[in-house]
Amino acid sequence: MLLHDLLFRLRTLLRRPATENELDDELRFHLERQIDKYVRSGMSETEAVRRARLEFGGLDQVKDECREARGVSFVETLVQDLHYTARTLLHSPAFTACAVLTLALGIGANTAIFSVVNRVLLNPLPYPNSQELLAARQNDSRPNLKDIQRQTNSFASSGGVNIEPMDFTGSGEPVRVHAAYIDAGLLATLGVQPMLGRWISADEDVKGGPRNVVVSYPFWRDFLGGDPHVLGRAIRLSDNSYTVIGVMPREFTLPKELADVFVSLWVAYPEAAPFRGVHFMHTYWRLKPGVTLTQAQAEIAQADHRLAEEFPDTEKERGTLLIPLHEWLVGNVRSALLILFGAVGLVLLIACANFAMLLMARAVARQRELMIRASLGARNGRLIRQRLTESALLALVGGAAGLVVAKAGSTLLLALKPAALRHFGTIHMDARVFMFVFAISLLTGLLFGLLPAWSASRGDIAEALRENARRTTTGISRSLLRSFLVTAELALALILLAGAGLLIKGFLRLRSVDPGFNPANVITMYLQLPGTRYPQIPLQTNFRRELLARINSFPGVEAAMVTDLPLAGNYVDHRVVIDGRPTPAVGAEPEVQTLSVMGDYFGVMQIPIRGGRDFRAMDREGQPRVAIVNEAFVRQLLPGQNPIGTRIDWTRSNEPHEWMTIIGIASDVKHSGLNQPVDPAVYAPFSQNDEAWRKWMTLVIRTRVPVAGLVKDVKKQVWSLDSQIPVSGIQSMEDLLAVSIAQQRFNMLLLGIFAALAVALAGVGIYGMVAYRVNQRTHEIGVYIALGAQHRDVLQLVMKDGVKLGLLGIVLGLAGAIALTRVMVSLLFEVKPTDPATLIGVALLLAAVAMLACYIPARRALSIHPMTALRCE
Amino acid sequence: MPSRSIDLPQGTLDLLILRTLSLEPLHGWAVSERIQQISSDVLRVQQGSLYPALHRLERRGWIKARWGTSENNRRAKFYELTKAGRRELEIEQHAWEKLTAAVSQILETA
Repeated sequence: MLLHDLLFRLRTLLRRPATENELDDELRFHLERQIDKYVRSGMSETEAVRRARLEFGGLDQVKDECREARGVSFVETLVQDLHYTARTLLHSPAFTACAVLTLALGIGANTAIFSVVNRVLLNPLPYPNSQELLAARQNDSRPNLKDIQRQTNSFASSGGVNIEPMDFTGSGEPVRVHAAYIDAGLLATLGVQPMLGRWISADEDVKGGPRNVVVSYPFWRDFLGGDPHVLGRAIRLSDNSYTVIGVMPREFTLPKELADVFVSLWVAYPEAAPFRGVHFMHTYWRLKPGVTLTQAQAEIAQADHRLAEEFPDTEKERGTLLIPLHEWLVGNVRSALLILFGAVGLVLLIACANFAMLLMARAVARQRELMIRASLGARNGRLIRQRLTESALLALVGGAAGLVVAKAGSTLLLALKPAALRHFGTIHMDARVFMFVFAISLLTGLLFGLLPAWSASRGDIAEALRENARRTTTGISRSLLRSFLVTAELALALILLAGAGLLIKGFLRLRSVDPGFNPANVITMYLQLPGTRYPQIPLQTNFRRELLARINSFPGVEAAMVTDLPLAGNYVDHRVVIDGRPTPAVGAEPEVQTLSVMGDYFGVMQIPIRGGRDFRAMDREGQPRVAIVNEAFVRQLLPGQNPIGTRIDWTRSNEPHEWMTIIGIASDVKHSGLNQPVDPAVYAPFSQNDEAWRKWMTLVIRTRVPVAGLVKDVKKQVWSLDSQIPVSGIQSMEDLLAVSIAQQRFNMLLLGIFAALAVALAGVGIYGMVAYRVNQRTHEIGVYIALGAQHRDVLQLVMKDGVKLGLLGIVLGLAGAIALTRVMVSLLFEVKPTDPATLIGVALLLAAVAMLACYIPARRALSIHPMTALRCE
Repeated sequence: MPSRSIDLPQGTLDLLILRTLSLEPLHGWAVSERIQQISSDVLRVQQGSLYPALHRLERRGWIKARWGTSENNRRAKFYELTKAGRRELEIEQHAWEKLTAAVSQILETA
């Protein structure tokens, strides 16, 4: 029975043209027989035809009913409606363009953000069974990692990595590459197989093990020529020869680190590998199936406890905290992304409200047509359905256009290069994004098409006739709906505007933070001396001194060097002891940033010296050790004292201390970020260094005039001293500063764009409403003018509603903003989410936009000529 | 319009069509003629509503259609009752008889 029904429908559908013909034939046969019958009974031919037709009823209607009875009507009707809709839409290109554009903007912006959300928050990480992967919040050392591995049962495997620069030489210019110093467990933990060859095995990951290297796909492609027979080839990395034993697949990356080559920590950096106190590896852990995070955390806490008891010198303050890898990676991006997603959702709501109002205005304009069709027997349901077809079609076209907007939008997003998204690679539009667009478009079309369709189809024909004849007012419900939509739009726009305003204010505050140095006209470059050729400090010092002397001999150039630049994200910290102070408990000494400098670093960076003196040429090897501390050091560690002359040293130094005497106080520098507090810092001359592992340096070069070819000249000088040293990290201090606030800038720009979009859409919405009312009340206004109304009165008449709704929307929006901007706290810098100045400012701005949007169409009312208005009756 | 005829109660058209077709296969026009003849012109089948009903019955599998030649030698679509249609007719007829009997009883006694 059901099967028969289904087959019947299917057959009818498949044989559509044939079925149609048969239906025609059948009905024609009936009419002919009927006419024949009447003619025989003596009627005239014309009369017979007339009679037969009359009795039969509307032929098309009967056909329609037959099709419906055959059960193909749904598809048939849809095709018909689509055809009809497409035709009518093409007849009103302005309306169609407005509707499609409105939706394209709303849907496009949403899709762009969704594709980022999809990539970052929804997609699993590119490792097998990535839900089992954990990361430790704290870095650890290799010996600790090994001990924990031995003492725990929760983990299938675990491993660590530390990224160090290595020099790749032997093919053209020397290149600094990112080397991942790993332990053998890391690769098993992440579980990605090499594309060629194999991973480093556990028995190779030992002291004195073979120098083997696994390379990344880009390294293999760019530096090894993509050679498929590369396995076994020797390459030179930092003056040692390594054998290539594996190539990773193209899409493989470490969770958070960028790496070109992978080597065993034991093999490549045996100096650091055995030190328990050197916590410099990121560690990753894979849970055994069935083990929960809580169990693993409990077990690791016990292991921490044992380590702390056994090695109190370095491990007393352990507290390893495991978190799911995905959470660790998206933690700081999640809130910003979700806020942006919410914001862009509000933009879509506003766009939808405009869309609904457009449809309503169109319904009114087409009232006559609808009325005629209703009186010809079209049923209410059918009319609603047709209008829904129209809105759904518009929404789908809008969604397709939105994809184009989204594509452009995500290109723009990536061009802004938000640092936090860097690890997630490219943003694709995958099937899920397309599903999202399709669903959101259809939902928009049906939901927001239903309101106006429903309100348009209601009411009886007679009323519609009357309305049409008098052109006075439309139904109360429809005008209420429109008022509601306008108010909601303005309220939503205000919320977005408030969010954007707060971010802008926060960003301006952040940007106006004094970094503590003058970034203008400073170029920086990074160098690292290979440990093999510069094992001792005097060799390093000679190289540095000679290089600086050569660069400083360039005209118009001042150069100095420092270990780590401010805002570059790196520094080395040491625990410090102060001479004459009771020594704190082991492990509880204060930690300070330690920076080595050479040349006139404070002069080049224009960091003011607040007290004491700057370093001089005489502060060199063989002379008394000196140091300059920053103001934060004085504030936190020597409060209320004159620090000049105080002696300090690192806790790690052997007794007796070789004290450094503080000779000066440098002004604070925002080393870790403009929105971060300044930590205590100690500057000491490179030449008085006793740490041979400080092999790296960053040149800071201030040019009084823009010097063309400076970078090339510097490189030439470096290579004339040592042709095997790569020069990297070439960037201006201004770029570095900009990059350091790129994330905040990204958030601000994006929310700013959304808010602008929202305000524009809401403005169009209120404009449309007032324009529509002016249009409808032309006659009334004409009479009013004829009766002697002044411009002011007319403006008041037509603007009154718009302004009232606008103000209501703004007040509601303010309440909404106060309730919602709280979620933004984490994104704001030194601005409260309820900052009154911002809220008042954006409210005034939106009020001005709303007034303008009311005023422009209202002006048209002034130009209405009474006679024309009366004549249009 | 000639004499006022009775509109068919909802749902009875199907029953009449099935009954009419139970004697012999007929085309649509003949069905409407037959119903009118038998009911002595009291029941007027709105000719337009006959065809949707025929197509609906065909979809339900109670009647099937085939093209044949009419009495005046024209190509026409003939409908005939299927086995399922015959069963359905019995059920419907029985239900109708029960209904009318009950209604008459009420009308006579009340």
